[in-house]
Amino acid sequence: MTWSPILLDVIRAVLIFAAVMTLVPFLVLAERRISAWIQNRVGPNRVGPMGTLQPLADVIKLVFKEEIVPARADRVLYSLGPLLSFAPAAIAFAAIPVGRGLQVVDMSVGVLFVITATSLAVYGISFGGWASNNKFSLLGGLRSSAQIISYEIAMGLALISVIMTTGSVSLSQISEGQTSFLCWNIFRQPIAFVIFFTAAFAENNRLPFDLPECESELVGGYHTEYSGMKFGMYFLAEYVAMIVMSAMVVTLFLGAWSPGFALPEGLLGTVISVGVFSFKLFAVLFFYIWVRWTLPRFRYDQLMHLGWKSLVPLAMANIVVTGIVVTIWDAVQ
Amino acid sequence: MPDIKTEEMLLNMGPQHPSTHGVFRVVIRTDGEMVLESESHIGYLHRCFEKVAENNTYIQVVPYTDRMDYLCAMANNLGYAQTVEKLMKLEVPERAQYIRVIVTELNRIASHLLAFGTYGMDIGAITPFLYAFRDREMILKIFEKLCGQRLNYSYVRVGGVTFDITEEILADIQRFCDYFEPDTIKEYNELLSYNGIFISRTAKVGVLPADLALSYGVTGPSLRGSGVKRDLRKDEPYSIYDRFEFDIPVGTGEMGALGDCWDRYMVRVLEMTESVKIIRQALADIPAGDFCDKKAFRGVKPPKGEVYHKIEGARGEVGFYIVSDGTTKPYRVKARGPSFCNISVLDALTSRGDCMVADMVAIIGSLDIVMGEVDR
Amino acid sequence: MSFSDSIFWVFATTAVVPAFLILFTRSIVRMAFLLLGSLAGFAGLYLQLNAAFLGFTQVMVYIGGILILFLFGVMLTQRSDIPVREKVGPALAVPGFFAGLLLMAALLFIALQNPWKTHPPVPVTEPDTPVIGIKLLSTYILPFEAVSILLLAAMVGATYIARVQAPGAPDGQAELSDSNAEGRLE
Repeated sequence: MTWSPILLDVIRAVLIFAAVMTLVPFLVLAERRISAWIQNRVGPNRVGPMGTLQPLADVIKLVFKEEIVPARADRVLYSLGPLLSFAPAAIAFAAIPVGRGLQVVDMSVGVLFVITATSLAVYGISFGGWASNNKFSLLGGLRSSAQIISYEIAMGLALISVIMTTGSVSLSQISEGQTSFLCWNIFRQPIAFVIFFTAAFAENNRLPFDLPECESELVGGYHTEYSGMKFGMYFLAEYVAMIVMSAMVVTLFLGAWSPGFALPEGLLGTVISVGVFSFKLFAVLFFYIWVRWTLPRFRYDQLMHLGWKSLVPLAMANIVVTGIVVTIWDAVQ
Repeated sequence: MPDIKTEEMLLNMGPQHPSTHGVFRVVIRTDGEMVLESESHIGYLHRCFEKVAENNTYIQVVPYTDRMDYLCAMANNLGYAQTVEKLMKLEVPERAQYIRVIVTELNRIASHLLAFGTYGMDIGAITPFLYAFRDREMILKIFEKLCGQRLNYSYVRVGGVTFDITEEILADIQRFCDYFEPDTIKEYNELLSYNGIFISRTAKVGVLPADLALSYGVTGPSLRGSGVKRDLRKDEPYSIYDRFEFDIPVGTGEMGALGDCWDRYMVRVLEMTESVKIIRQALADIPAGDFCDKKAFRGVKPPKGEVYHKIEGARGEVGFYIVSDGTTKPYRVKARGPSFCNISVLDALTSRGDCMVADMVAIIGSLDIVMGEVDR
Repeated sequence: MSFSDSIFWVFATTAVVPAFLILFTRSIVRMAFLLLGSLAGFAGLYLQLNAAFLGFTQVMVYIGGILILFLFGVMLTQRSDIPVREKVGPALAVPGFFAGLLLMAALLFIALQNPWKTHPPVPVTEPDTPVIGIKLLSTYILPFEAVSILLLAAMVGATYIARVQAPGAPDGQAELSDSNAEGRLE
């Protein structure tokens, strides 16, 4: 192995990472503006034109805040928590094709990689919640570990039926397979789409599944004790994870970077594909925000019921049906 | 078979907690997410209202009553003023009676709006809170025009009200009623009341049976949520409430069990409609004339004696017991606050072993307490 | 040392050092964290051997599933970092010492006797995932099904344990353990 391909990989990785990181502040701003719009408020509009510099102000504030480590906290794990939460989410984006042929790594097991990486985010929350030496944080950590493993199973099962339909675990191949409008997996696997999207909300701890942090019961959940940039990291991780999950929804179900018809060859097609992907990504993210500011929150046991008694059996039934249909389809062809 | 034991944990909710609606502390013993037992601690906001009242003249006590239930100050003012008037056997001018009814009902709506909004917030929906505040703001603007205050009005005084209500304000109130009912309440119901997640969070949670409620002295919407049709405005009409047509909404148990959190919540939403009904009738009938008894405004000196009087506040029965020794200062004032009695039932509701940490919040919210009045 | 060699040493260190550190750690949650590092190191080694499917499955099952259940259990049963080690009397320490010595000798013997085959990682010509899938459902169908049955039995058993409760115990607790049991299947 020579060094030059590695260098190229690094450049690509940095580019995608930078793109995602730049997206986060604007997503936060969008969340605040959209929530304000939903709630008949004005929202942040003072810093910069139309409030566009508000994220910058937020970050500056976070950086200069004092970092407080609670008494008798486990200092090592307390500091590692935010990092463990952020890193997997950031890594996961590497396997997602953001446009035709635009991907940091084209892995043969891309789906598995993204799901694995997002499932690691639970550690940041659990360790952070435990290390804070705060009972509310501990409860938040507990909730998140139970919630994330539960919904991961539903999510994995939903994915299996998608993989069965597409016949590949490579994200680039799954994207290629959805170039024509009717081949989008949302039409081929509508049930899997619903299950996956629901589980994605739970994985990201977004309302109506934001039990690990829910401010009305657990004050701030796992990040109750965090302040300054450590809190900022959790915050960042949450939004990066949200972007990753939305990108997964787009890639797996909404036709990835395809506008629904064949793209022209060459650079033009690639640029259009990136545009299409971004548009879909923003649409899904808007949906995320919309749901958050509309719905109340589930209770812990209801969340478990929904996960284990509705989503998992439904996903299993979906696998069986998919299996039968795929076999018949193959036999007919 | 070995019993897998999980360690019990003592969790201190409050005194600084976002969902205790004030400075209130509950110590809960939890096993994982289940609440095994809870114990409420109150008194963080104690301000010696009753003792302070003994050192002030009858008129000076009025602002202290504002600060009890600060979300429904008009009802406290009214309760106190009427008690003193009963002691003095003072007849209040007709116009003042109507104004009192209008402002008390408006304040009841404002208070229920806040209960609605914060309850949504407790359950995790943030948007209803801001919708409720948007509409509550209209009422507060009206009150500001009326008496220059947004929270602690001291508007209803012994002998009448402080200022006369102008035509402009009456028009404002009329406009608010038209805006609020039925459209806005319908919007609330669509947004929150009949939301599936909201129902699953509140139905069959914190069931308060009627006999338990009565034995703890629970009153107001929390009692009516249990299906008991008791409202002082109808049962023992004070002021001029016997002149108006309105219903007493009670819990029906339509979403689960009778007396659950949803019933208590829904009673409040329905009561807002009824209050609008009362206001509309009062606006139509309000007579011209004096808005106060000028003599009472110059000084109050009731004869020797004692009296108890109660009215229906936004949270239940607001009662005052006053002993007079014939001077300008009351010898003893005892207040019966609805929140104080309602909160006493909390431990009974949450210590039955079927309550989760999240339900704790739902139950506290559904009782709609104001700590300022619990501690006084 | 080539690039891939250095990567190997990074993964190998990540796999072995935390495993040693676990022995000297007092807090269970920290142990879990170290175990996380160790398992991740092994996953890295798989990845370096071009066994991507195996590597990610390792992370997903061991780190994403089993270890988090450990943590869950620890957090639920043990509030603060109570030292897990207690004073051990000679009745336990002496046989323990010899048992440990014996085990170490056995392991060393096996490690030194085994003719380790060393060759560079097999280059991947086709995606390994379909191959693994087909192998699992043809050549290795029997072990695969045996494991399935074992897991099913474990699940039923765990559900049973969770269901047996003191009268009047809250229902939600059953749900909790229930989900635990099924989580193990992952």
